[in-house]
Amino acid sequence: MNESFKRGAREGLTLMLPMSVGLLPWAIVTGVAMRSTGLSAVESLGMNLIVYAGTAQLGTLPLIAAGAPLWLIFVTALVLNLRFVIFSAALAPAFHGASWSKRLLSGYLLVDGLFVLCADRLLRSDDPHWRWGFYVAPAMLCWSMWQLGGLVGVLGAGVFPKDWSLEFMTTIALMVMLVPMVKQRAMLVAALVGGLGAVLLRGLPLRLGVIAGIALGIAAGFVAERWSEKRRQAW
Amino acid sequence: MVDGVWLWLTLFAIGSTTILTRGSFVLGGEGARLPPALQRALRYAPAAALSALIMPDLLLDAGAFDPANPKLAAGIVVALAAVRSRSPWLPFIAGMGVLLLLRKGLGW
Repeated sequence: MNESFKRGAREGLTLMLPMSVGLLPWAIVTGVAMRSTGLSAVESLGMNLIVYAGTAQLGTLPLIAAGAPLWLIFVTALVLNLRFVIFSAALAPAFHGASWSKRLLSGYLLVDGLFVLCADRLLRSDDPHWRWGFYVAPAMLCWSMWQLGGLVGVLGAGVFPKDWSLEFMTTIALMVMLVPMVKQRAMLVAALVGGLGAVLLRGLPLRLGVIAGIALGIAAGFVAERWSEKRRQAW
Repeated sequence: MVDGVWLWLTLFAIGSTTILTRGSFVLGGEGARLPPALQRALRYAPAAALSALIMPDLLLDAGAFDPANPKLAAGIVVALAAVRSRSPWLPFIAGMGVLLLLRKGLGW
């Protein structure tokens, strides 16, 4: 195996380890949620493998429970996953020269935490072997944690008391990802506008408020960055 | 409840959105590059997206705006724990601890 692939893999794993621990409770919660919706153990594990996207899984469960039509479930999942188009576009240059099968695997494995932690350094490296190691190793770690946590949740669904508000672990996991990012002012603006936008626009159909909030947050972050640049130039 | 073969079809339909969205530009290849200004703007996507998923859970109670709810109190504790401590577990323990204390202990 290539030396720089191994170096990339090692650095990626070191970077990802703490956050991948944060995936466990989230995966367990999702596992419990799938079972309590009425999916069998095999169906739940199948969903974890086929979908591998916590937000889309949790978001479509109520529709599955209600027997909603296939198209509505599909559109809802698509909307909940739309943020990945943004991540995919930002990351695409890092897969310059990669084979189609590597790209397909990379697409399937592209979760939020991976983008948050790895995108910056991936895009700055010009060594394709290092990039592949730095991407696929932490990606597989996240995948393994998700499947493992899901298995624990699915098999242990009956053990956890239902009134323990375990679903709040999802929000905690997302917060643990967000907090280190908002130390930069423009990022903080993007987060505040994105979050409050999603709250204020919650009335939009098909959960489009989340997407609209994200779009507003991105625009606000961009504008804030421009402003602080202009101020710096004026000084 | 969607079940049987229909459930599996549904799961594959949901899974296809994973590949469609995450794979979109990664699979699209070099021809599909975004303009630089858009690239820069997109750096704010993760912070905006995470917050757009977090804040509704912290600020809404049964769909209505309600800042005086136990989840927001727990969320503030989580944020403090995440800022102050390097431990990956502390935000989970502190956040769930506060939420359970407020909900079950104090009946909020």
